[in-house]
Amino acid sequence: MIMEKIAELFIILILVSVVLNVSSPFIKFAIKLYSFQSLMLAFYILMGAVHFNSVNLYGSFVITIIFKVILIPYFLFKTLKKVKMDKEIDMYIGIPEALVFAGSLTLLSNLIAQKIVKTGITFGSFVFTISLATFLIGAMLMITRKTLFSQIIGFLTIDNAIFLAANSITHGMPLLVELGVLFDLFVSILILSLLILNLRRNVAS
Amino acid sequence: MHHKLLDLILILPAAALIFSIFTDVLWMSYLQLAVSVLVFLTVGAVALSFNSISVFLGGFFFLDYINLVILITVSTLELFVAFYSFGYVRSEIAGGVSKRKFKFYYFWKNLFIFSMMVSILSNNLGIYWTGLEATTLATALLVSFNRTKESFEATWKYVIMCSVGIAIGLFAIVILYFTTFQVYGESMRSLSFINIMQAGAKLDKNFLMLSFILALVGFGTKVGFAPMHNWLPDAHSQGPSPVSALLSGVLLNTALLGILRFYQINSAAGIYYPRYFLIGFGFLTIMVSAFSIIKQTDYKRLFAFSSMENMGIIALGFGIGGIAVIGSLLQIFFHALNKGLLFLSSGNVLAATHERRIDKIRNLSKNFPITGIVLLFGAMGISGMPPFAMFLGEIYIMTGVFRTDIWLGFLVFILLILVFVGLFGKVLKMYVGKENEDREEEGEESEFKSGVTGGAHKAVNEAALHTFIVYVPLIILLFSSFLLFYIPYPFLHIVKSAAAEFGGKLIFK
Repeated sequence: MIMEKIAELFIILILVSVVLNVSSPFIKFAIKLYSFQSLMLAFYILMGAVHFNSVNLYGSFVITIIFKVILIPYFLFKTLKKVKMDKEIDMYIGIPEALVFAGSLTLLSNLIAQKIVKTGITFGSFVFTISLATFLIGAMLMITRKTLFSQIIGFLTIDNAIFLAANSITHGMPLLVELGVLFDLFVSILILSLLILNLRRNVAS
Repeated sequence: MHHKLLDLILILPAAALIFSIFTDVLWMSYLQLAVSVLVFLTVGAVALSFNSISVFLGGFFFLDYINLVILITVSTLELFVAFYSFGYVRSEIAGGVSKRKFKFYYFWKNLFIFSMMVSILSNNLGIYWTGLEATTLATALLVSFNRTKESFEATWKYVIMCSVGIAIGLFAIVILYFTTFQVYGESMRSLSFINIMQAGAKLDKNFLMLSFILALVGFGTKVGFAPMHNWLPDAHSQGPSPVSALLSGVLLNTALLGILRFYQINSAAGIYYPRYFLIGFGFLTIMVSAFSIIKQTDYKRLFAFSSMENMGIIALGFGIGGIAVIGSLLQIFFHALNKGLLFLSSGNVLAATHERRIDKIRNLSKNFPITGIVLLFGAMGISGMPPFAMFLGEIYIMTGVFRTDIWLGFLVFILLILVFVGLFGKVLKMYVGKENEDREEEGEESEFKSGVTGGAHKAVNEAALHTFIVYVPLIILLFSSFLLFYIPYPFLHIVKSAAAEFGGKLIFK
């Protein structure tokens, strides 16, 4: 019981970090938040792993730490250093409006989750709500911000939401598939960083 | 069924991928020819002896009639593109592009082909997803091959939009996993397509509905369905022409396969409304692309929009069902060929003139006698005119549409006419228009100069190009025309069986 409560705390922290991301215009902070958010996700997976004593989830915990908490933020920081920009000025809507949107998206996902998830299914409606809200807010981040970096952050947030959903079935997705997904994600971040550097160079010249 | 042959389909591109790291570009182009011919022959042998669904490589991969059709399409187009690339690399290097730039061309191209094959043949939906995302990443650096600002921007849009789209597709797979988890528990079988089809009716219908919609939106982004399409014309027009041909011809179909798989799962569970989604998205895509084609000024973008239109028609056909499914499956194959020849021959014009705008290209009949005529007839073929194979696919689909709803058929018909007028009219102007004749004459003279200096001087003439890249599109055109009159019986049998499988007549054992 207490374990479930702790797991729920981790999930809530994921949502909190996403909302914080909406309220902050700093890219460096956003990357740190992403790293934190992935760490919370990893801990959530660890709770499941301990609870069910599942090798699959332990594996999932390890690869999440390696890829999402360490490697991806590391490369993003490196790119950010080379590009030399931190604060983003270009936003289609202001931060207060974006926060209101984020709140309503959370409510909306709660409504959807209540409608779809019936009781008695392994997959709880609470996790589904948070996962859907994170997903939608991540999409909103992508749409409302113009800077290339925040599009990456939005994409990563969406990905975390899906990972949260995938790992909240009792034993998670097969490890092989998760490894493939994470590797693809990692490579896509590398390619996007490369593109950012090239786009910057072209704009500067 | 020989399992060794099936393994070979995956092993050959992987081998080419490894060789391409160590081999020089010019040597690699010979090797690539060999590999592509071998892949084509292997797929041909598999297709001839194929009689039932077979699983290979430890149950992770399988072959049924639907992915066999796409496999044949990929291997055929890839064969032509390999020959074209052979000439393309030589022409570009002769035209002053440094050899270093081409160093990784074959590497990325083979990675692209390999991951596409993995996607197409995968039995496991998770592996399908991984392969599909890998195709995006492998083609990213091919789209930005020219290293201009436009190409980098196009690549950015392409990678971001497709990655997010495919992430939504992953959500669909996760939700599908929830439903199958209740039948199979935690195992690879919960993601295996064949096992999911067997579970069929036992699955939770609410979740299946959600998963289909997410898959349609997610993978639909990569197919280029209408509201999510705006990366497509940029990405497809910026890459080198052989890559554009592969992107338009076969990659879109690979993404469509994901949607078809989810559709099949839904049908197996007794849910039939997904067809209305396919019809709706298909129609919307045709409409948006038809109006975009009319106001295009860039010929490669024109053809990219035409791919979108054809994917719309194919989706419409799958949604309508019955006879239209046969049309759609034929259309997948014929569209790949026809779009391949259009991109390849327009690539010749681009390679020689370095001009993308339609109104700057005039009088192709004089300077590009073969390429010009191929382009003209190709444009005719792509709009479904009779002497070319796409007519057959389109007539099947239109028959199905008219039978289902006469008004929908009428609207689609008007849109197709619009596409024909827009596309053919523009290409015709490129072919016979006589505006800047003087410039062309100058070009012909300068071609001799460039022969002497061997520099990067513009050569506005077909003779400056490698023989292969001039004749490969012509051969595809003749092949496509030939197919209208005679479709080999084994292929027709595969298409019919695939249509039956799609209609739910084939029971997965």
